[in-house]
Amino acid sequence: MGFELRDHTADVAVAATGGSLEAVFAAVADGLAACSTDEIPDAGERFSLTVAAESREALLFDYLDELIYLRDVRAELPVDHRVESITGPRVEAADSDADGDDPTADPPWELTATARGVPLTELDAREVKAVTYSEMRLENVADGWEAYVVFDI
Amino acid sequence: MSNTTFEAGDITLEQVREFVWEIPQEGDMRAPARVLASEALLEEIREDKTLEQITNTTHLPGITNYAICMPDGHQGYGFPVGGVGALDAENGCISPGAVGYDINCGVRMMRTNLTYDELQGREEELVDSLFANIPSGLGGGGVVEAGVDTVEEILERGVDWALENGHAVEDDLLHCEDEGMREGADPGKVSQKAKDRGKNQIGSLGSGNHFLEVQRVTDVFDDEVGEAYGLETDQIVVLIHCGSRGLGHQTCNDYLRKIEQQHQGLLNQLPDKELAAAPAGSQLAEDYYGAMNAAINFAWVNRQLIMHRTRRVFERVFDRSWEAMDMHLLYDVAHNIAKKETHTVGGDERELYVHRKGATRAFPAGHPEVPAAYRDVGQPVIIPGSMGAGSYVLRGGEHSMDLTFGSTAHGAGRLMSRTQAKNEFWGGDVQDELEDQQQIYVKAQSGATVAEEAPGVYKDVDEVVRVSDALGIGDKVARTFPVCNIKG
Repeated sequence: MGFELRDHTADVAVAATGGSLEAVFAAVADGLAACSTDEIPDAGERFSLTVAAESREALLFDYLDELIYLRDVRAELPVDHRVESITGPRVEAADSDADGDDPTADPPWELTATARGVPLTELDAREVKAVTYSEMRLENVADGWEAYVVFDI
Repeated sequence: MSNTTFEAGDITLEQVREFVWEIPQEGDMRAPARVLASEALLEEIREDKTLEQITNTTHLPGITNYAICMPDGHQGYGFPVGGVGALDAENGCISPGAVGYDINCGVRMMRTNLTYDELQGREEELVDSLFANIPSGLGGGGVVEAGVDTVEEILERGVDWALENGHAVEDDLLHCEDEGMREGADPGKVSQKAKDRGKNQIGSLGSGNHFLEVQRVTDVFDDEVGEAYGLETDQIVVLIHCGSRGLGHQTCNDYLRKIEQQHQGLLNQLPDKELAAAPAGSQLAEDYYGAMNAAINFAWVNRQLIMHRTRRVFERVFDRSWEAMDMHLLYDVAHNIAKKETHTVGGDERELYVHRKGATRAFPAGHPEVPAAYRDVGQPVIIPGSMGAGSYVLRGGEHSMDLTFGSTAHGAGRLMSRTQAKNEFWGGDVQDELEDQQQIYVKAQSGATVAEEAPGVYKDVDEVVRVSDALGIGDKVARTFPVCNIKG
């Protein structure tokens, strides 16, 4: 359980596994931090974030996108990721006729997470430009979940 | 007709003529794909997923003639780096994924009247001063600290904003594509998140393969064009390579997600989700084009601010005004962009969104969109090499409109992954070797970046340029060699 960095000509890919959806999301996020720096100091305060999206894969994409956004605007590298909860669509929603296809409705998948923000001034870090959908995989396997994500460097 | 073929796993390429290879149309491909390369380059290109990705690109609606991979092509995400795809602007689509994250990532070259002799002995002072004054790396801030209002103005007006605020002179605008201001830029289509990321990064190199390099001209191959570009042997020039920073990256992702939500039907026809495209004529296609054009302006301003700051650094180091050192912009080229252009296809004029990702526009002499200063000789094309190799200045070749929708290569092209590079090289060693053996002074925020960008991880830029020149899409004008290099 955890992550490893994989070769990609121009970019870096993260392959991650986790016993739960929360664990695999956090492992990919830790992989993102590892793409950015080799050594993570102990500095920084924890902060929390929430993300919502219309599907599981989109939620993973938006979570990683949000972490990169927060890095730039907070001037901190988010590390030590903990995904507290991921909730999917409520089952009864499928039967109700209310807001089924309403595009303005709140997206059904939601995540709450925390991370420690290490000030960029204390790091020898390089910039990961973006998360990509290229070759992205998020799969339920026998002992949990597997994910594969390519980041643009 | 030649029957020569090249086998690359499941893909067979047929040779059309020297340096031109075709992957025939089959299955759901909407056109053939072409690869412009020597066999030596093809041997490298076949090693990763470049050929699969250029084939995938032919699935985009409105793909015209063929999807084309440049001699420096390598695996990217969705579209390969070194890819050109001309998509019909009426019945086709525009693809944020095919433009890439770093909208208007590009290169500019500034001339000086200094010679290498005058610089020798002062390399260390110059590289230190550049490194101290040009923001680079992660969280390094920008040349200007601005509020969101300023970002809006930059997005709208491009280098014209820089001119008004003392970061440019009129002459800079005349030597930039579109005079440094892209029409149709719509700051309202760039998200607040993108603007928030951009406001702390105006005038900054970033990291990865971006850099600023002081170079000396080693060769001028074409005297007439060299003179028109103001280049001569032993002259010092400055090359700046960077893009639209977080603002561009966020804009690309924002639109990828919108396409996923609004144009699922088109997305499902594509073999790679990263090729996500909005149908021509849709609201989203218009919105993205407005946002991308705004990000293009942001990137031009970014390179402009870095260039103008570089002038100040030279003033301090050489103790004379930048005007006295004749530090003028030679040209600025974008290599991640989609532009609506008119091309002749099968005898008809057609409006196309020409996507160039890791490819450079290379319009020939006489083309009305080449700035007046260079219209008689052709548009300058700047091809950066790696830290330990030469870079090239080319000019748009006479066959570029027929062969490549007016495009050529953008650089050496990566050969080795970043993780592999870090295992094979150590930043400090690379730096010492460059200094001791080649008198190249490198200064970087991160040793890892130096290792990942070591000369050995790139293809042979000489071979890339040889193919471009032989095909007549971008002709060799001059070669330069690094003296000082700073990076993130």
